[in-house]
Amino acid sequence: MTVVTQDGSFDRVADAGAASPSLAERLDRLTGVARVLAAFLAALVLFGLVMMLKGVNPLTAYVDMVSSTFSSWDSVGDILVRSTPIMLAGLAVTVPARAGLINVGGEGQLIIGAVTAYGMSMMVDGRLAGGLTLVLMVIAAALGGAVWSGLAAVLKQVVGISESVTTLLMNYIALDLMYFLIYDRWKDTAGSGQPTTEALPISERLPLVGLGRLHGGIFLAIGATVLISIVFAVTTWGFRLKVVGGNTEAARRSGLKVGLLLLSAMAVGGALAGIGGLTQLAGAEFKLRPGFVAGYGYIGFLASWLGRHRPVYVVLSAALLSTIVVGGDSLQIDSGLPAASVNVLMALLLLMVFGFGRKKVTA
Amino acid sequence: MSLVSEVLTGGIRGGTSINYAALGESVSERGGVINLGTEGSMLCGALAAYAVAAESGNLWLGVAAGAVAGGLLSLVHAYFVLSRGANQLATGLVVLFLGLGLTSMFGVDYVQALAPTFKPIDLPILGSIPLIGPIMFDQDALVYVSYVLVPVLWWVIYRSRWGVLLRAAGERSEVLTANGIGVLRIQYIAVVVGGMMAGVGGAHLSIAYTKAWFENMVQGRGFVAVAVVMFAARQPFKVAAGAYLFGSALALSPALQSRGYGINQFALDAVPYVVTLLALILLGRRRANETPEGLSKVFDAPTVA
Repeated sequence: MTVVTQDGSFDRVADAGAASPSLAERLDRLTGVARVLAAFLAALVLFGLVMMLKGVNPLTAYVDMVSSTFSSWDSVGDILVRSTPIMLAGLAVTVPARAGLINVGGEGQLIIGAVTAYGMSMMVDGRLAGGLTLVLMVIAAALGGAVWSGLAAVLKQVVGISESVTTLLMNYIALDLMYFLIYDRWKDTAGSGQPTTEALPISERLPLVGLGRLHGGIFLAIGATVLISIVFAVTTWGFRLKVVGGNTEAARRSGLKVGLLLLSAMAVGGALAGIGGLTQLAGAEFKLRPGFVAGYGYIGFLASWLGRHRPVYVVLSAALLSTIVVGGDSLQIDSGLPAASVNVLMALLLLMVFGFGRKKVTA
Repeated sequence: MSLVSEVLTGGIRGGTSINYAALGESVSERGGVINLGTEGSMLCGALAAYAVAAESGNLWLGVAAGAVAGGLLSLVHAYFVLSRGANQLATGLVVLFLGLGLTSMFGVDYVQALAPTFKPIDLPILGSIPLIGPIMFDQDALVYVSYVLVPVLWWVIYRSRWGVLLRAAGERSEVLTANGIGVLRIQYIAVVVGGMMAGVGGAHLSIAYTKAWFENMVQGRGFVAVAVVMFAARQPFKVAAGAYLFGSALALSPALQSRGYGINQFALDAVPYVVTLLALILLGRRRANETPEGLSKVFDAPTVA
């Protein structure tokens, strides 16, 4: 069978030959999950201590957070609305990470995706059916994100500068680019003077799926997760990325086109984030405005690392982190803490997982 | 004031926070640890300095508090990276999130607060040097401290015993181990000293440059500092030049606007980041060879934990 040479399936096939997945392996995975749960608890306790420093009773705060976050099906829908771009931004980190690249540019790629999608909508200007325009917008968003992230991969290859730094800097450039457009060229002149674009026509928005404000973008995120999982598991490209990520030099010497693989991994990542930007535009916000992606790119980065760059775990982590973000609203309303306080909880969670989520490895 | 001298004066003023942070990051990277949490250390330094200056009325106490706060946050980075083997780049970003969250939590009370701030001091004699005088020597005290810090740091890195140990820790840590010198301790010190300097950079931002505290006020300057360190190859004088380059790009926007040029503000706001990126592109390849060996491993490390 050809799949034997591919990533992942190789192990599985080998295992099947011996016995069912070995007990030790299962236990290992279980302790892994248990460790992560323990890390989560530790983060909650530490954040509780920080809240006490601010004179907030952590128990009340947590109870309020849970009860207001899960008060109704609509609020579950709200969590998923926030999860959608974070999931895609997380996958945008996951794909390059497989090839050993660190994409910290999710935020900028989300913005560029939304900007190019909006530009496509303006270009079409209602001359095509809404659904068709939406498809074109998805394509434009993916291309925009891919070009934006691909630039970082090119710079790494040609000039040898780390993609982690270039992608970070490009986030700020993307943000200023969007500001430039919404304060100037694309500004809604009929609006209330706020720096926003006009809202997308209703026909070009992602349809609601019947759970509060939840829109069809969630299916794009889930579809991307499934697709990436399959690509990682069975395609040659997915396997080669892993080889490059494991040992670039060995990959080069065995004749792989490393430069092209790195570029494609980064571009696919950027395309995913670009689509994430589109879901935020066509599903949640409908217009470009300041604070449009509200750090979702960075949270997606955290989600990818929390999920150890395994697609399914990454999107689950994204859902967890966006639940925490929604919980931040409750912190603000019920406990009088700024919404950004949840960044502390997220950071503590990640640190606990980085430090204690697995057996110690030496750097 | 002519456009050039206004931009250069503003370049030093605006570049000083980055200068401190980038000098600190140079120390950290010389020891083999990259710290993207520099951004977070700057935030913590900015808030601590502003809060302590507001409460005590003493500017220098504020600066000290900024250094302590920046150092404490970088200690978190050092612990997880050095003692728990976590990925340096990812941990740095998480540490930034920690700093961002903590400063917004504890900073709300100081958003409207009044604090004393550093004022420019026109130095006698030096200030009257033509051209250079008004640009370099009509600045605040923290700027003057940074002028001294640059050569001192150069001496420490290249001429002192500790500098040799530091560079050895970043390049060939096994040599130190073989000689019975604790690498870990040197690296801890390097990261924390780096964080303290970033904290002072943050202090300059809040109590000298913007004269205010607000959430997320560092706005990427910490990341720029990391980029500056990269294209300046961790050499203090070049780092200072890089920081002032960014500062000048920053000063360009208000200077042009005050002269009535009708250029969109946000197009100009992107200029400093574009300039930093261009500097990386132009100087990047040449500098890659000068990266401490221990640090290059960080960039090549597998990302899958």
